Amino acid sequence: MDKIQEFLLDYIQREYSLPEDVDFVTFNYVESGYIDSMGLVQFIATIEDEFGIEFADEDLENPKIHVIGGLIDFIKSKMDGELSGG
Amino acid sequence: MRSRLADMLYENGAATPEKIAIWCDGKTATYREMCDLVSQYSNLLLSCGVKYGDHIAIPMNNSIESVAIFFSAADLGVCLVPLNPTLPLEAIKAAMDSGDTKHLIARKAFFRECEKKGGVEVSGFSICLDSEYPGAIPFSAIENMSTERHPCKNIKGDESLILTMTSGSTGNPKPIDISQNNKYDRAMAHIRVYELTREDRILAATPLYHSLAERLVILPLILGAASILLPRFTPALWLECVKEQKPTFTIAVSAQLAQILEALSRPDAPAVDSFRSIVSSSALLEKDVKLKLIDLLHCEFHEMYGTSETSTVTTICFQKVRDKQKSVGLPFDEGKIRILNDDGTDCPPNVIGEIACLSSLTCKGYYRQEALMEAAKFEGYFRTGDLGYLDEDGYLYFAGRKKELIITGAVNVYPHDIDAVVSVLPEIEECAAFPYPDDRLGEVVALAVVPKQDCEINIRQVQIYCARHLADFQQPHKIFVVDCLPKNTMGKLQRMNILNHVRELGLDE
Repeated sequence: MDKIQEFLLDYIQREYSLPEDVDFVTFNYVESGYIDSMGLVQFIATIEDEFGIEFADEDLENPKIHVIGGLIDFIKSKMDGELSGG
Repeated sequence: MRSRLADMLYENGAATPEKIAIWCDGKTATYREMCDLVSQYSNLLLSCGVKYGDHIAIPMNNSIESVAIFFSAADLGVCLVPLNPTLPLEAIKAAMDSGDTKHLIARKAFFRECEKKGGVEVSGFSICLDSEYPGAIPFSAIENMSTERHPCKNIKGDESLILTMTSGSTGNPKPIDISQNNKYDRAMAHIRVYELTREDRILAATPLYHSLAERLVILPLILGAASILLPRFTPALWLECVKEQKPTFTIAVSAQLAQILEALSRPDAPAVDSFRSIVSSSALLEKDVKLKLIDLLHCEFHEMYGTSETSTVTTICFQKVRDKQKSVGLPFDEGKIRILNDDGTDCPPNVIGEIACLSSLTCKGYYRQEALMEAAKFEGYFRTGDLGYLDEDGYLYFAGRKKELIITGAVNVYPHDIDAVVSVLPEIEECAAFPYPDDRLGEVVALAVVPKQDCEINIRQVQIYCARHLADFQQPHKIFVVDCLPKNTMGKLQRMNILNHVRELGLDE
């Protein structure tokens, strides 16, 4: 399992295990209550800290990042951007 | 002595073994299965060496197993210290210290977090709930345990059963010490007041590490009713659960009800008609929210006032008392209310003062901090830190808070906890957390920070620091950099004026 996915899954499952048959790519962890609106601020800041990236305020409004697959893509693109100085 | 909680569960197990005792997250347990699970959990704890009077820390989620351990603890004379699993490690450590815990039951993610950050001191055993972890006994060992019950013979009922933490990430949390007798008395009072029966299906939709949900799961199981436990709250999950499980009674927090109303008002929302009675707690609901909910839920609607220390103190049924729509009601038979001036004299009717309660449902005290509870009492009455008044008929009206508190989604946040964490940052001269209005949660945490001379504050860095050192519910949703904080002439921080201050500066746009 790739490191980003492992980190996110560990964090999201702090309180509850994900259903066994879940498709990570399309799983919406906010709608499913795994991370609530209070926890989201902390989650994003923890991701920034872990991967050395920065989310813009408008990124937080993007529903794509509420889905694990979308969040992974988002983090990867940010990391690529940071590495290339973008 | 009152009946023991576990005895009552086992009696229901014998009387109605095949009745569904509990539902949570798509799983159910009959009374027979629940009694077996409690016995097996008790036997697992005994096999690990637990002794009467031991304290067990448990970062707790909402699950059937979490409910079972309340009854195991009650049957063995053991005390549970349920903790919010999202608390940062230092807060968990502080809670474990102040709760005098010897053993730990947690999920693998918690043990891994501990390993990364230096661990926690556990002098007894550790159990890993969801997997295997080095040094911890896997919870799956429960499958090999006998279903024979071995209750502790020494239990008197006044031993500590649950220590509920009131605060926070810094300093000393105040563990509210609740005995088995407290839990029994509180359950019986609610059964009487809300006329609950074995036919009821009682929904708990708040976290089990708070006293409200504890009450809402213990109560049905000692009554012989059905417990419905929502694993996590979102308005959509609540609606789906209500549609499927058809609860008849719940005590909800007002911030949840406002969100539920929003979901119920959507055109595709399912009709909800199973409730006989709903109680709103933690803050007064706005009248139009209340009226719309009554219209959509077709049930009796109550409001209550209480604190974790005293349990419910007053209640009112909206439909039965038409002329007291803004009141939180009359005291339970177990309690009395006074409204106190600062000098300890009683306020006359309709004059605001501090709400003080004398109730037989009040907790044992703050664990090992007896002086704190004594200081909080006046002539035996617990000073709540809330403001309110009584009318000529003895109805209580809530008028705000005396103590500095942010209530976000019904969770109490002590702003000093946040100030203490953030003020450690070298570029910060001073800072203050304050309540910021929020449509969904009532309030969220906001933070005003004053930079040191010639220093610049990077808001992102502050957020990251908070993510590391504060729990999820303590995270500042908004951070404002200001030149100074509003203070009175004596230099005392005027926390409740900070929002006005940042708005006057044009920072809140």
